[in-house]
Amino acid sequence: MNFLSQDKLKLLAGAAVAAALTAGALIASTANAETTIGAQAPDFTELNTAGEQVSKSDFAGKTVVLEWTNHGCPFVQKHYDSGNMQGTQTSALDGDEAVWITVISSKPGSQGYVSADEADELTTSRGAKPTHVLLDPDGSMGRAYGAKTTPHMYIIKPDGSLAYNGAIDSIPSSRVADIEKATNYVKTGLGALEAGQAPDPALTVPYGCSVKY
Amino acid sequence: MLKRLFIALAVLFSPLAAIAQPVDSGHALAELVSERQAAAPGDRFLAALKLDLDEGGWHVYWKNPGDSGLPPEIYWDDLPEGVELGEFSWPTPHPIPFGTLMNYGYEHEVVLPFEVRIPETAQPGDTITLAGEGTWLICLDICIPEGGDLSLDIPIAAAPVTDDAGSAAIGASLAASSQPVTGSANFSQTEESIQVWVEDGDLAEAATGATEIRLLPDDHDIEHAAAQVVRLGDQGVSVTAPRSAYASDNMDTFSGIIFVDGGEGDARSWRFEASAGAEIAGVATTAFQTGGGGLQSVGAASLVTFLGAAFLGGLILNLMPCVLPVLSIKAASLVSTAHDRRESQMHGLAYMAGVLVCFLAIGVALFALRAAGESAGLGFQLQYPPITALFALLMFAVGLNMLGVFEIGTSVQGVGGSLADRRGVSGAFFTGLLAGLVGAPCVGPFMGPAVGIALTQPAPVVLGVFLAIGLGMAAPLVLISFTPALARMLPKPGKWMETFRQALAFPMFLTALWLLWVLAGQAGANAVILVVAGAVLLGLGVWLANKIGRDAFGKVVAGVLILGGFVGPAVGSNLVAPPAVAASSEVAEADSQAWSPELVSQLRSEGRVIFIDFTARWCVTCQLNKTSIHSERVVKSFEENDVAFLIADWTNRDEVIAAALAEHDRAGVPLYLVYPADGGEPEVLPQILTPGVIVSALEDAAGT
Repeated sequence: MNFLSQDKLKLLAGAAVAAALTAGALIASTANAETTIGAQAPDFTELNTAGEQVSKSDFAGKTVVLEWTNHGCPFVQKHYDSGNMQGTQTSALDGDEAVWITVISSKPGSQGYVSADEADELTTSRGAKPTHVLLDPDGSMGRAYGAKTTPHMYIIKPDGSLAYNGAIDSIPSSRVADIEKATNYVKTGLGALEAGQAPDPALTVPYGCSVKY
Repeated sequence: MLKRLFIALAVLFSPLAAIAQPVDSGHALAELVSERQAAAPGDRFLAALKLDLDEGGWHVYWKNPGDSGLPPEIYWDDLPEGVELGEFSWPTPHPIPFGTLMNYGYEHEVVLPFEVRIPETAQPGDTITLAGEGTWLICLDICIPEGGDLSLDIPIAAAPVTDDAGSAAIGASLAASSQPVTGSANFSQTEESIQVWVEDGDLAEAATGATEIRLLPDDHDIEHAAAQVVRLGDQGVSVTAPRSAYASDNMDTFSGIIFVDGGEGDARSWRFEASAGAEIAGVATTAFQTGGGGLQSVGAASLVTFLGAAFLGGLILNLMPCVLPVLSIKAASLVSTAHDRRESQMHGLAYMAGVLVCFLAIGVALFALRAAGESAGLGFQLQYPPITALFALLMFAVGLNMLGVFEIGTSVQGVGGSLADRRGVSGAFFTGLLAGLVGAPCVGPFMGPAVGIALTQPAPVVLGVFLAIGLGMAAPLVLISFTPALARMLPKPGKWMETFRQALAFPMFLTALWLLWVLAGQAGANAVILVVAGAVLLGLGVWLANKIGRDAFGKVVAGVLILGGFVGPAVGSNLVAPPAVAASSEVAEADSQAWSPELVSQLRSEGRVIFIDFTARWCVTCQLNKTSIHSERVVKSFEENDVAFLIADWTNRDEVIAAALAEHDRAGVPLYLVYPADGGEPEVLPQILTPGVIVSALEDAAGT
């Protein structure tokens, strides 16, 4: 490597700068990890608002509903202000062995990012009943699940496999008036599971605000 | 404000006009506009929702909003009896990337026309009122669902009266809408991807020289945010995009638009409804390089920069390990001519001509391959096993020649000498040719960016860049041959030269060995055996030529053997099945995984630091860098920072890797990328690595 004279090193430095400048469009923009219906749902370990670690494995044998949220997002407001999300929680938790986990993946400084206390306060003020609110400010859990919007809903079966991935209901809009006309996919999905059937549909396109990774 | 005032005044002073109430919804000013000031009974015309959006990135969505968002909508109140309204017609949207997500929509202003049908029973003098609740989700980084009560009063008259302003706005929107493709459109899908072939002459023309071409689907069948592979032809365009989980295995049709950005705000689109079917000829003959900046962005000034960079790259190529043996032959031959200035100059020029012819040929071949739709980069000549086999045999033959086993041209010219050391202008020319051929795969520093951008350019620029590389490579020897002072510094010719020439045979054999190793990775052990068999045949032929080559029969026998020695392995290496693991057979001390775009996204989603090594067996710089990558310091840093080490092996042709290189404006390896844990942009490392460079990049990426 004795051919690396000082001049050549300068050239190399120039090359490095040129290379850095040309690094434009990215593989970065490629798709999120796929979550496949019927396959094991991705593992997660995040802190809840009480500062405890919560993992997917904690809920083996239970049906788990995951809800991505951002309290500043109008689509989330549509379902909370109308009481639809709380109603869905009530009916989900009505079953014996079900768990409801609300996940906040907004990065610090972006819309929907909250401290643990603020998250608890939101739960109280909205009359919500999640089993846990998980704080995922680095977005790792959101990216692992490929959560795209708020709300974005998932149902995990007691055996840990993914049973539902998609929208809260069948009418993508921000209008409260549409809620009663829509089919609530989480309610129908849980109902199907309880009856020993697979949710249908099991995969829908979620609608709402972008998750603020 | 002035605009709003103007609208208010316009409404106030035109009592006959179809009257709409503009609504200021916060970040948008909305109103219904119409082609008609007054409509006739039975009239059919267009009205539209016009949204004037705040500047600075606020946008509303296309009918397919992409990964998030919602299209604008109007919920009409009960319509007057007999009135019918059509669906929105959508002008060409823009891809709007947001982090790892992709949206499709509009900034600044959008006009969404829809048809209005007035019943025959409408009475002149009456006024028909269309009223409804409009909603539009408007987003910057945050989203706000805005909306308002919209209404449009349409006076009925005996004859229709045109509204000029409304017609102009609607006309502009229609002009910007997607054109239906004139030819046919087919698609086919695999588990991973969907490919469409779209036939349309105008599209083909617009695509040439576009800065961006992208497929925007009507539905969610593809991963919106993922990179797409685009090919062009005289007859149209083909796009391959990763399939999403929402795609169904038994789709009969796949529809969407092909978005073509011509640069400077000139974006157009073509609408296709593809049926499941085979490839359409003439739409996928050349690769479109995305992210290359396009033709328009390369002006004369930057062209000079690229040529300069290519020249420097060629200069540095002289120092690459694969060129050194050939170069040393030339150095030896210069020594022998140093006493004669004129002869020396002739040799220098002939050498340059050889190098230039070689690079010109490589440039032409590369362009021809690209024109045939192949993804070829610098070093592509070694991606074909027969060529690697031929090179290995050539190196072996040159080595034998230098050892003095055989001589070429004795019978013809009666001049003693060897192929590369012939005391003739043609010998110098051959040496140049050989040096160029062997040097081309070593993409030197500077050449990645230079050639990467050149490959997005028209043929003359591609060839210009290759010639500049050749000039750079030939420059040092030409300089020596023209500068007596420099030439005098070379040692005097003498008997030592014979020994020197023989000693140089061994770097040639080592080069042959290296090429065999490349071939082993490409086509497996059987191909290597074939080449060794070819070498034996070659040796036999050469030996026979010396023994019985004096008569015609002997010449024919020896010639057939030598030819067989070359042709047999070349043909054979293409026929033997490559080993199943050949593509990922890079052995590494650090734990590595085979690269794929999917794995990169998955690891990024896990918040891992990723080090990607775009490499190839035939790339000597890559091999040298491996000592840095597998050094103790780096391996330890991999562990400490929980780095995922991915290898993208480009030894054989691979379109996905070629596309990834193109995304970084590269036409060849090496390329080293470090993705940070926080999901940000990757850092591009220099093309010659030291452990220190890697470790500090990894630590930056891990945030430690």
